[in-house]
Amino acid sequence: MARPAIRPTRRQFLKTSAAVAVGAGATRPFGAPALAQRPKLAYWCYQFLKSSDDARANFAQEWAKKNNVDLQISMVPLKEFLPKITAAIEAKATPDIIESDAVELRARGQLLDVTDLYKKLEKTYGGWVGNSPKIMLEPDGRVHHIMYGFQGFMLMSRDDLVKEAGLTPPPATWVDMLAYAKKAQKLPRIFGMGIPVSNQTDSQVWEDMMKSYGARLADEKGKRIVLGDYKPQVWEFLDFFTEVWKAGVLPPGVTTWDNTMNNSTYQSGKAVFILNPITLSLWLEENNPELLAKTGHYTYPKGPKGLIQPVTFGSRAIMKYTKVPDLAKQFLWDSMEPGKMDREHGVSQWGPVLKAYLGFDVWKKKPFMKGLIDLSLRGEPQGYPDVFNDAWREQHTNTTISRMLQRLVVDNWSRDKAFVEALDVLGKIYSKYAV
Amino acid sequence: MAIRHRSVAVALPTSARPTRWPSVRTRESLGGMALLAPTLLLLLGLVLYPFCYAIWLAFSDKTVGSPGQYVGLRNFIYVLSWPQFSAAVTNTIVFTVCAVAIKFVLGMAVALVLNQRIRARNFFRAFLLLPWVMPAFVVYLVWRWLYDPLAGLINYALLDIGVIASPIAFLSDRSTAMGSVVVAHAWRNFPFYAISFLAGMQTISQELYDSAQVDGASRIRQFRHITLPGLYHIIGVVLLLTTIQTANAFEPIYLLTGGGPSDATMVYTMLVYVMGIMNLRLGEAAAVSTLFLPLLVGLVLGVTMLLQKKANA
Repeated sequence: MARPAIRPTRRQFLKTSAAVAVGAGATRPFGAPALAQRPKLAYWCYQFLKSSDDARANFAQEWAKKNNVDLQISMVPLKEFLPKITAAIEAKATPDIIESDAVELRARGQLLDVTDLYKKLEKTYGGWVGNSPKIMLEPDGRVHHIMYGFQGFMLMSRDDLVKEAGLTPPPATWVDMLAYAKKAQKLPRIFGMGIPVSNQTDSQVWEDMMKSYGARLADEKGKRIVLGDYKPQVWEFLDFFTEVWKAGVLPPGVTTWDNTMNNSTYQSGKAVFILNPITLSLWLEENNPELLAKTGHYTYPKGPKGLIQPVTFGSRAIMKYTKVPDLAKQFLWDSMEPGKMDREHGVSQWGPVLKAYLGFDVWKKKPFMKGLIDLSLRGEPQGYPDVFNDAWREQHTNTTISRMLQRLVVDNWSRDKAFVEALDVLGKIYSKYAV
Repeated sequence: MAIRHRSVAVALPTSARPTRWPSVRTRESLGGMALLAPTLLLLLGLVLYPFCYAIWLAFSDKTVGSPGQYVGLRNFIYVLSWPQFSAAVTNTIVFTVCAVAIKFVLGMAVALVLNQRIRARNFFRAFLLLPWVMPAFVVYLVWRWLYDPLAGLINYALLDIGVIASPIAFLSDRSTAMGSVVVAHAWRNFPFYAISFLAGMQTISQELYDSAQVDGASRIRQFRHITLPGLYHIIGVVLLLTTIQTANAFEPIYLLTGGGPSDATMVYTMLVYVMGIMNLRLGEAAAVSTLFLPLLVGLVLGVTMLLQKKANA
């Protein structure tokens, strides 16, 4: 005979549940105390070139393990950084450390002051390289982001094709480059110049070219638009651009290229010249060493008024909302240690920012790294001779100069009409920041 | 007299009288309202608050990370004088009208075919959904490659069969850019039309077609007088939903042209993205959206009224 099942009453069930819950709660203070005390650090790591990204992410993991930190790494591509950080700030759920060029966030007061760290690094590692201080220091002497590398656009040239055409690389001026491109290209398979003229920021290389013709956008203070005073210089540049367009050296489709198309065009052997950072060379080193061997790396050609060679950079910053500012600063300090940077520079696209890094072997081992050293030592901050400020930045993301060029070749506007529109747009943007 | 009056007023059995409960009907109404309240609050929180907040943003100088101050109509004046705004208005209308028209015609045609008794009908019905279930970015990157003037399949084929002598830059020529974007968008989204119309067609009684056939009505007349009227309500819902969706489309423009060449495909969503996300100026971006609100409402009302008129007729 089966025994009848004893069913607990509701009261008994509640009593037992409460006892279990209390017991479980009581054991918590004794369980894994170290885990409970581990500080948390959220780190948004810039994602672009895998070898470089891996090096930085691996260092961060090791650092976290060594310092008993609960580190959360998120790899964030540059293109997604602004949408993501915008949402994070508005949702008040920001990371502690970010990697970007940080300029927009600095201007909006979102970053922690790291002037002490800047000075300590400067003192310990023999000073900053090139224009790093100009980029990091604000007019009041404060610093809100620490640069970890320079990078920038260089002239990458299919030297084999140039030599085959009976020419000696590199072309000295932009006009020479056009002449070289016309002679070295092999239509319809290989085009002379793989340069975008679209609504993507890579197209702003045309702004650098325009400035090497002697023009500038705004006054010395970066407040008032003065491009209208440089009409002859702009006209000379527009004549040059029109000649480039008519010569058929730009591949079809450049007016809607995104920021990857110049890379892929060169990678597939369809361009003689492109303007690009050495990320492409690092990719070629692994994936197409034959093409890398045929590639020369040079600073930009000159314009009639000299050389304009801008540099961009990568930097780390601490969001002002962090609950662990000292720990975040410690991470920033440790991540600039020369031994670590030596390993990282060997696999990344970044040029040296501290003088202690200039002696690394990597600069001598790889021929294309030489160009990176030149760029780091002599490159001017983006926008030069204009001031690199919020207004310049907005007109840059708006691709104002490239749009002016598109008006000429896509809509067949006259130079006057396109120039007037560009002046109007620049005026509107700069006037917002003038107050 | 006064005392008597007082004693009547105070000692009256009013306090002793039992409390009157609301009627059953009132109690039911109150209960119903109480049950609906959480949903209503949720709807207010999820729909009305963001909507009002967006309107407030349009009147503020809000940038990312700053609380924003009231600036009156400044953002609207700025946006209206911005050169890309007028292009965005025209392009959004052109894109929406053309894409909806193509999707409608294509969807109807495919639905008509798949409503017939053809071999492997179920397979084709499932196959039809393929473009719609694929992630948008995959679809548009594939189309980008198809259109590519240097390595794209379309140019390769046209050159190979001798239709063209030199490659066409579909996405980079003002005359072809918008059309190319519309085609890619229509290809991805027409299956929704087809499936919806097909579902509607299956509810129309076969007897109506049989009778019409007996009366000697041609296929076209059957379509005009039986199929189309039978689908009016579905057409209404589909057009309403997809007009809103198409006007708010962002991926095709962002991934195919970035709004170029020379703003030939600049639509308002792209402009909002540039102003709000790239430049972090949320007030200006909200002003663009707010200015487009009447246009979108007008488009939707237009479509609805047109269909209502047809249905009533």
